[in-house]
Amino acid sequence: MFRVTIEASDGGSGSTLSETRELAHGDSLIFGRDPGPGGVTLPGQGVSRRHFELVADAQGLTVTDLGSTNGTQLAGVGLGSARITTGQRISAADTSVTVRYEEVEAQTAPVGPQSRYITPATPENNGLPPDIPARGTVDVSEVHTGGRPVSEIAYCAIGAGIGSFVWIDHLRCYGVHEDDIVAIGPEDIPYATYARYCANSQIPDHERLRSNSASTPDNIWGFPGYALRESVTTGNPRYAFQVFGEPTLAESYTPRAGRVFRSFDREMKRINWSRMFRKGLVQALRKTSDGRYAIYWRASRDVVPEEQRNQVTLAKIVHVSTGYPATRFVDDFQDFLGRHPEMRSLVANAYEPHEHIYQKIESSTEPVNIMVRGRGIVASRILQRLSEARARNPNIVILHSIRSPIRGQQGAKYGWARRPVRGHVELQPFNWPKASWGGDVRLKYENADAEERGRILSQLGGTTTAERSDWIAIGERGGEEGWYRAIFGSVKHIAVRGEKLGIDIKTPDGFDQSFEADYLVDCTGLVADLSRSLFLADLLNTYELPQNHAWRERDGTWQPGPRTGLEVSNAFEIEGLRNGSGRVYAAGQVTAGGPYLAVDSFLGLQYAALRSVDDIGANRLTAMRPIGPARSAIQWLRWCAGSTP
Amino acid sequence: MLPTLRGRIETRLFLIIVVGLPVTLLYALFVGGLPYDGGLLLMLLGVLLALLVVGVILDPLYILIQRLRWDRDWPFAYQFFFSIIEFVIVLSLASLEWIPWLDEFAFQRGETIRLASFHFAWVFLIGFVLLLGPLAVLFVRWRYKGGRFGRL
Ligand SMILES: Cc1cc2nc3c(=O)[nH]c(=O)nc-3n(C[C@H](O)[C@H](O)[C@H](O)COP(=O)(O)OP(=O)(O)OC[C@H]3O[C@@H](n4cnc5c(N)ncnc54)[C@H](O)[C@@H]3O)c2cc1C
Repeated sequence: MFRVTIEASDGGSGSTLSETRELAHGDSLIFGRDPGPGGVTLPGQGVSRRHFELVADAQGLTVTDLGSTNGTQLAGVGLGSARITTGQRISAADTSVTVRYEEVEAQTAPVGPQSRYITPATPENNGLPPDIPARGTVDVSEVHTGGRPVSEIAYCAIGAGIGSFVWIDHLRCYGVHEDDIVAIGPEDIPYATYARYCANSQIPDHERLRSNSASTPDNIWGFPGYALRESVTTGNPRYAFQVFGEPTLAESYTPRAGRVFRSFDREMKRINWSRMFRKGLVQALRKTSDGRYAIYWRASRDVVPEEQRNQVTLAKIVHVSTGYPATRFVDDFQDFLGRHPEMRSLVANAYEPHEHIYQKIESSTEPVNIMVRGRGIVASRILQRLSEARARNPNIVILHSIRSPIRGQQGAKYGWARRPVRGHVELQPFNWPKASWGGDVRLKYENADAEERGRILSQLGGTTTAERSDWIAIGERGGEEGWYRAIFGSVKHIAVRGEKLGIDIKTPDGFDQSFEADYLVDCTGLVADLSRSLFLADLLNTYELPQNHAWRERDGTWQPGPRTGLEVSNAFEIEGLRNGSGRVYAAGQVTAGGPYLAVDSFLGLQYAALRSVDDIGANRLTAMRPIGPARSAIQWLRWCAGSTP
Repeated sequence: MLPTLRGRIETRLFLIIVVGLPVTLLYALFVGGLPYDGGLLLMLLGVLLALLVVGVILDPLYILIQRLRWDRDWPFAYQFFFSIIEFVIVLSLASLEWIPWLDEFAFQRGETIRLASFHFAWVFLIGFVLLLGPLAVLFVRWRYKGGRFGRL
């Protein structure tokens, strides 16, 4: 048995806790915001509900990340699972946890949990630092005397991910000076979060994304597109010809991940991103009495001394693009992890690091059954990775869990057209029909009211994958050779059977079927629930901002269902935050269900950026004016030359 | 491309005026030299007008074809193919003398057909290349507007 002393402190709120626990060999202890009975409740923004766990065995303690949103780091290195020595520091978002342990006699009377918060989070301010006012509008003088260092700026982007980058790129091309802009976010590089999702979901740099040639987050015009650039640099004209023929005469062109990242690098340099970037996490936003916004944020410990980390920035125009709040675990999956934390390494969400599964199955010489759940593009990538793993271990069998079969004529229908189906999967080059980005579907959707938008969204949405001959071949060849099997039905229950996972499935015709698998990879997605982000939850509460809804058909009428993104105008303004000539705009997943279908895509981010930047100019909120043909052409030439905008 | 009906018509007009007219003037100059050969210039302008009329008549049909496609897009290959079809239609109509503003006999002679074809090739290729992307350099919002110009 180990006596474990836990000391935690949250950089964001300054809350700390110290606790002592006893762990017998085989025991585990879960840490998180809401870890469940017996777990350790960690303070701090960015800590996931169940963030990581400690497991004791005869040799010592092991820490394992539980698919947390912000990851778990040991001595600064991100991890899936690792042994820790006594005194090591584990970081969960901004919270750091020091664990000391020693072997003790098993008879020792257990020491009960003794949680002690020095600065407890009060319910009124949702766990925000106490100096952030709960009111909707704060006096500027109050901001200046509040004790935080104050900086003032015209434009501030919150997130500093791809959405922020694209918005700032537009501002810069419209002539805004770099000294008038800041971007606040936790990652030095705008595509870091995205690149992590790609790596985890098995899109290495040489693989192709699901994105069109003219979706160019590094170039506001979409020209030259990635296909032309790839043809020029490789000397191979086939990519440009692919764009000519797609999608009817050729498979749709999509750029390689690595090329897109390099294009970001180039544009970051050109617009001087590093000068505008501030590393940190935004805690809250408040309107100020002078028609601006106070952005309360916590700078990263990498860049400022501990006592100066809480800062406030006053800005006139704000942009919010904070991406997905969390990775999703479907209920049965979450439930299973709660009951069997010791099986954590056998199950993974496709968006979390799970390389260890491929390493295990590739090095094994035994038969391995692996279940893949879901039929979207991520499932296709995982299946591709597994079929590659079969080259090392031909005994891998893939069980592909799909909710229900779809036959050729059962694809989604819209107007006269029907989405094609192959191998029980609906096919579409991108995640929405192409006309959603700029054709008649965009126009119709933008002009529709909430109900009709909901209806169009549900008709055109749904899980699809790209038509790639190699992916289709996996299912067809694997089916013939017996190493791929599609299993229809919804997963009812996941349990432990000996060393393996037992998965109960209810088939579409009502039978119960049971399967055994060594591993399970869940490809059903990411959580878009805004309230999972503390920053957004506070914003929604403080200003009672309206949200969009997913609409569902019930008994012949369409009714609003679960909440989705923030309600924004057609120019992507969060109107509930308007403050004199101050404006807050948003982009990306946080605006889902709003005025544009494909908000969570490169081109959708470009569209949102263009709309909001034009809106700023047209309403003369700042000195910037929308660009017309001449300025646009000049800026484009500057882009080509690689000179600053 | 993701054109809407109004977008198709606007882009068509734009290309005829901004590409078609200057190319026609240059081409007539190149073929006939100075002073302008009035008959040739009028014929080429007449062909340009016929192309515009035939195109605008066909545009709703193209929109119907788009509606049959799940993605409601218009592949570049279609644009290429149907542009040539439009020219073939204009030539056929002209040789049938169905285009009142074109000389009755002109399009029954090989030489005129050759001149008109080269003229068309220039007008078409330059316009097509612009559609592949360069147009967006001048008009950032055009690609989101289904081919229309102006504000979003
Ligand atoms: C696996 C995957 C593949 C995709 N592939 C494609 C593709 O091929 N083509 C395509 O067009 N689109 C694709 N997308 C969709 C979309 O383009 C990307 O998700 C894109 O990164 C979205 O940009 P964003 O700015 O909304 O979010 P992100 O790029 O994730 O940036 C948001 C940033 O905000 C930060 N943040 C969160 N909260 C705070 C806070 N309180 N304070 C400060 N910062 C905060 C986050 O840490 C993050 O770094 C893909 C998405 C995923 C998940």
